[in-house]
Amino acid sequence: MSQALEESLFQRKQIGFLLSPDASLAEMLQKLWSPDVLEFTVFDQGGKAIEHLFNDPPDLLVVDNRLSDIPGREVANLVKSENVYRQLPVVMCVDPVDVEEPWNWNTIEVDDFLVRPFNPSEVRDRINLTLCRAMRALDANPLSKLPGNTSIIQRIQQLIDSGEDFALAYCDLDYFKSYNDKYGFSRGDEVLMMSARLIVNTIRSYQGVHSFVGHVGGDDFVFILPPDKVEGACKRIIAAFDDIVPHFYDPEDRQRGNITSVDREGNTKVFPLMAISLAVVVNTDGQIQHYGEVSSIAMGLKKKAKEDPKSSYVIDQRKA
Amino acid sequence: MDEDLKTSIRGEILQVKDLPTLPHVLNKVTSLVEDPDASSEAIAKVISTDQVLSAKVLKMVNSPIYGFPGRISSIQHALVLLGFNVVRGIIISTSVFDMMVQAMKGLWEHSLGCATACNIIARRAGFEDPEEYAVAGLLHDLGKVVTAVQLPDLHATILDTVQAKEITYFQAEKDVLGFGHDRINAWLARHWGLPPNIREAMSRHHAPQLAEFYKPMSCVVHLGDFLVRLFEFGNSGDDQTAYLRPEALIELKFKMSDLDKVMDEMSDQLLEVSDLTL
Repeated sequence: MSQALEESLFQRKQIGFLLSPDASLAEMLQKLWSPDVLEFTVFDQGGKAIEHLFNDPPDLLVVDNRLSDIPGREVANLVKSENVYRQLPVVMCVDPVDVEEPWNWNTIEVDDFLVRPFNPSEVRDRINLTLCRAMRALDANPLSKLPGNTSIIQRIQQLIDSGEDFALAYCDLDYFKSYNDKYGFSRGDEVLMMSARLIVNTIRSYQGVHSFVGHVGGDDFVFILPPDKVEGACKRIIAAFDDIVPHFYDPEDRQRGNITSVDREGNTKVFPLMAISLAVVVNTDGQIQHYGEVSSIAMGLKKKAKEDPKSSYVIDQRKA
Repeated sequence: MDEDLKTSIRGEILQVKDLPTLPHVLNKVTSLVEDPDASSEAIAKVISTDQVLSAKVLKMVNSPIYGFPGRISSIQHALVLLGFNVVRGIIISTSVFDMMVQAMKGLWEHSLGCATACNIIARRAGFEDPEEYAVAGLLHDLGKVVTAVQLPDLHATILDTVQAKEITYFQAEKDVLGFGHDRINAWLARHWGLPPNIREAMSRHHAPQLAEFYKPMSCVVHLGDFLVRLFEFGNSGDDQTAYLRPEALIELKFKMSDLDKVMDEMSDQLLEVSDLTL
């Protein structure tokens, strides 16, 4: 129980709320994890907890169906019905009698449940799993299912902290907006899915190295590779993208090599076919100390890559 | 032939799972996907010689799961987008014909020959992406493969009819089933979400003048099919002379001299290709 955070499943300390009048349950939960890993705040009544919950949402909510002032399921639904709290994992504790009849899990949107009598090691692992699952689900981009911003930042900071050399590439699509405007968002999504797939497969083909692909959102992707692999990967991504993307246009546009669409000011304009721009930040010998530096260098490079209407890449070659 | 029979045949055809292939190419691809240094170009090149593996790869990449249905008609693009793991999974789960291998060999050669011819014709006609024309050529008789697998008895009757009446396989299909493999192709291509250009060429290669949206591709496959039969490369189910639609040559703006050039190139390339199908 005196496990350190570094050896736990979590990147940072987790806060759990337990809403239960059952003192033995509280005692068990507080013993299962070191407070540095998962610390429980206990409320013996539901009503009091709700304001806390909304002001300062924890990482986990354990609700006991034995609450006397408010039904456990109502607390759960209060949380799950608000989009800003929805991602908070909720575990319901019940007595055997509660589950004699099947529950409608569509109306009680909890993430897991535990039935008395509790088996401590099962409780420990069920809750660990619930937390891990919530982290995975929370950060995945809804379209591509690739890891999103939280994971991206975490991964970059981890690499910085470990002092490992790495190259981080920011990819985005040129003229994606005009494509979207002309063909509609569902055709736009097709292009994003294609791009995601292409980047993932290219990066994954480098085996036995530390690599990562994330989806910042929209037409922005990032990937991480060792510095000596990154230029080859950029070239391969550009070649594949330029080869495939014309097939996502209607035959006439594709043949013409451009599309007519309306720009941000409402003027009808002719736009080239989409291209991919890559801006690569290389961190060797621990020059970069913080995630923020990476992104600000990248934004500068991106402008440079974008000056070329064709697909292109720019690699930051600063030396310490 | 009544509609009920057609519906039940369609049902049988579309139920096809585990379409097998011939061992030669499968073994080659299997060793490539086990080799960590094999490039996706090398794997694509081998898969492009096998109609069943090509169809499986295109079916997979064009499925809604990947999010861009019906967009991909090149094997190379499909491999880049599916990735190594998925391609490896397709290869591992593909079995080999246990019987009728000899009968199928001729059809495999014919299809590969047609793919080769389509590539040459598309280049000659100045079309972009000739590999996609080759894909359409490769898959133009897929309906025959699926018939053999799903409806072995009817397939045998068709082959017997070819012999007894000395007619083409296509005519015998119409005799026995009431419709041809062009119709079966159309069902399969739509059911599998193949791109519309490939779909139309597969279903119109016997009547390219009826093609609605992708007439050039349908005409290329029609001509490729005709020429590869002329060369007697492989066997598509009969020994009859095929009919060449003059509209196809007009559509492609081909003169006799173009045909000569295409046939010259074919005789060179078919020699190389025949090594692949041993």
